Amino acid sequence: MKTLLDINNGKRVKILKISGGKGVRQHLQCLGIHIGDIVTLKKSSFLGGPVLLEVNGFDVALGRGVASKIEVEEIE
Amino acid sequence: MRIAFVGQPNAGKSTIFNGLAGYKTITANFPGQTVHYTVSKVKVGDEIFEIVDLPGIYSLTAIDLAELESRKYILSGQADVVINVIDASALSRSLELTLQLAELQVPMVICLNMIDEARRKGIEINIEKLSQIFGVPVIETIANKGIGLDNIFNSAKQAYYKKLIPKIQFFHKDIEEKIEEIEKIIPEDFLKNIPRRYIAVKLLEGDKEIFEEIKDIPEISEKVTKLREEIKITHGRHADTVISSERHALSMNIFEDVAKVVEPLKSFRERVDDLLTNKYLGYPLLFLILFGIFYIVFEVGKFIEEPITEGFDSLIQKLPQFIEENSLLYFIVKGLLEGFSGGLGVAIPYLIPFFIGLTVLEDIGYLPRMAFLMDTIMHRIGLHGKSILPFVVSYGCNVPGVMATRILESPRDRFITATLSVLIPCAARTTVIFGLVGAYIGGLAAAGLYLFNLFVIMGLGAVLTKFIPEITPGLIMEIPPLRIPAVKNVFMKTWLRLKDFILVAWPLLVISSVVLSFIEYLKLDLILNKLFYPVITQILGLPEQTGITLLFGILRKELSMIMLFQAMDTTQLNTVMTNLQLIVYTIFTIFYMPCVGTMGALVKELGFKKMILISGLTILLALILALTSRITLSLII
Repeated sequence: MKTLLDINNGKRVKILKISGGKGVRQHLQCLGIHIGDIVTLKKSSFLGGPVLLEVNGFDVALGRGVASKIEVEEIE
Repeated sequence: MRIAFVGQPNAGKSTIFNGLAGYKTITANFPGQTVHYTVSKVKVGDEIFEIVDLPGIYSLTAIDLAELESRKYILSGQADVVINVIDASALSRSLELTLQLAELQVPMVICLNMIDEARRKGIEINIEKLSQIFGVPVIETIANKGIGLDNIFNSAKQAYYKKLIPKIQFFHKDIEEKIEEIEKIIPEDFLKNIPRRYIAVKLLEGDKEIFEEIKDIPEISEKVTKLREEIKITHGRHADTVISSERHALSMNIFEDVAKVVEPLKSFRERVDDLLTNKYLGYPLLFLILFGIFYIVFEVGKFIEEPITEGFDSLIQKLPQFIEENSLLYFIVKGLLEGFSGGLGVAIPYLIPFFIGLTVLEDIGYLPRMAFLMDTIMHRIGLHGKSILPFVVSYGCNVPGVMATRILESPRDRFITATLSVLIPCAARTTVIFGLVGAYIGGLAAAGLYLFNLFVIMGLGAVLTKFIPEITPGLIMEIPPLRIPAVKNVFMKTWLRLKDFILVAWPLLVISSVVLSFIEYLKLDLILNKLFYPVITQILGLPEQTGITLLFGILRKELSMIMLFQAMDTTQLNTVMTNLQLIVYTIFTIFYMPCVGTMGALVKELGFKKMILISGLTILLALILALTSRITLSLII
């Protein structure tokens, strides 16, 4: 299963599963990131840095720890 | 009438609030800055409105302290009208908070702010339709240009007198049935001001605080647990995820009903943004921006400072011509002049450019981008990118820096970040660095001290995280779009930050200067200095007279420098102290004890014990660092 960390820059993906505790889950939900959402991976920083996602028209930065818990599938 | 402003971070609540209240609060362009709510009274016509600016919240699910605080206020039923401020360019997400606010059943006005931003993104919103759906007034504003603000009070009055309570948007039938089941068994007098539907939904979501309230009613808690289990079985997801998805779906539907999305204008700003967060170019740019600000502050400051201090110095030297030397009056006038020139000539030339720089960075929205870039490095010291924000704010003043640690979720991160934040040279300590090391030894040495300070902070961070290990959830943060700061805003904010110095610190400085002068007159300083002698002279190798000045530094850091001029009886410090002594003195001053204001903030955020712990730690650290640098530097110089 691919996570956000396995995706190349500029690709659009659909979020399939968010693992991790309730805290992380709720925090993502509050920022408007839900299962089934389609997001664009704008940037992945190097050397273990965070990734930058575009979700419904705004940008969210996610640390690598969090990003590794989000399973996604690439869409065309 | 009491009006509360509620909205997501960066929606522009504080800008609206300032526009209405006349610049009494400081806003900043990153999540969680408004940590205390601010109240202001505004008179419009014959009516007095009390307006309340609450911290930005993403939802009514309390995740951090700021959210909890906002929620508590709204639930307390103190607001007659809620103004729900929405960033129109992020409408679909903002509607999720609106749906939750609707459940509180308080008269509401929806304020679509930054409507220009939305148009730029290609979003056209039909406000009549939105108003119909929720049954409340909807207005459009562009707060940073002051457009539409005059509609706010009228709509608030309309909502209040016509009791325009938002219509509840219903979830799917199976969830609604479960909500109803819980609603039925909630006793009549339970949490009186809060609508039962809201309680029921929050219980289904597994909200900790409200669960705590019902734990004495086993009938309800058992029922809720059972229903949550049922949802998990039928939907295959946790109940909180299901409800959040329901809300998400509802807001997407509303969004599609009321908004049309056309092709956005690909902007110049996006290209700039791309560059600023570029994985290679982002770092040199970050360095250039910060270096640029410090360089300008130093250069501009020096240019203004020199003529001022020189003027006052010659005046003080001429003083014996007018007043008899060694008389009480002479000491008092001398103290007054020294305190006055200290504030005017040393702090203000540095503070004004620095505050302008910091405000511009904030208003552009560069700080969250900095957090994005720095996440990797912050991980090395066991924190994550968000911690950089309290750090950067601390360069202005440690007090808001400590308060900004509220944006962090874990208590452990808050403690470590606060401890490290109080070591950051704030504007006052910057004044000391510039005024002592910069002025007498040179800019390079001053810059070196900053670098040294950074290494110490990183080192201490690494040590602290070893002692208090914990897996942090990691960075989750919105990056708001870049914005062009409004000139008026920048000046008002700079003024607000400066005002505190002019009205509080400066008079304090003048008074303390006179007090010290008086102490000197009574020769009490000799006794106090004898008391500090072992530490000051034997350990740190500083002139005996400096002992008393460090005592004043606890009040405000820059006081210790001005008192130093006083105590040494000259502003030409290089004639009475060696470079080594100046550096050791500066190092000790910038590390030992946070000032009284910061200690107050620490007590408020972390509690009394942790404040004592942190203060003790900094004294120990300052002693160790000053002593080691004394030994090492004496070998070099």
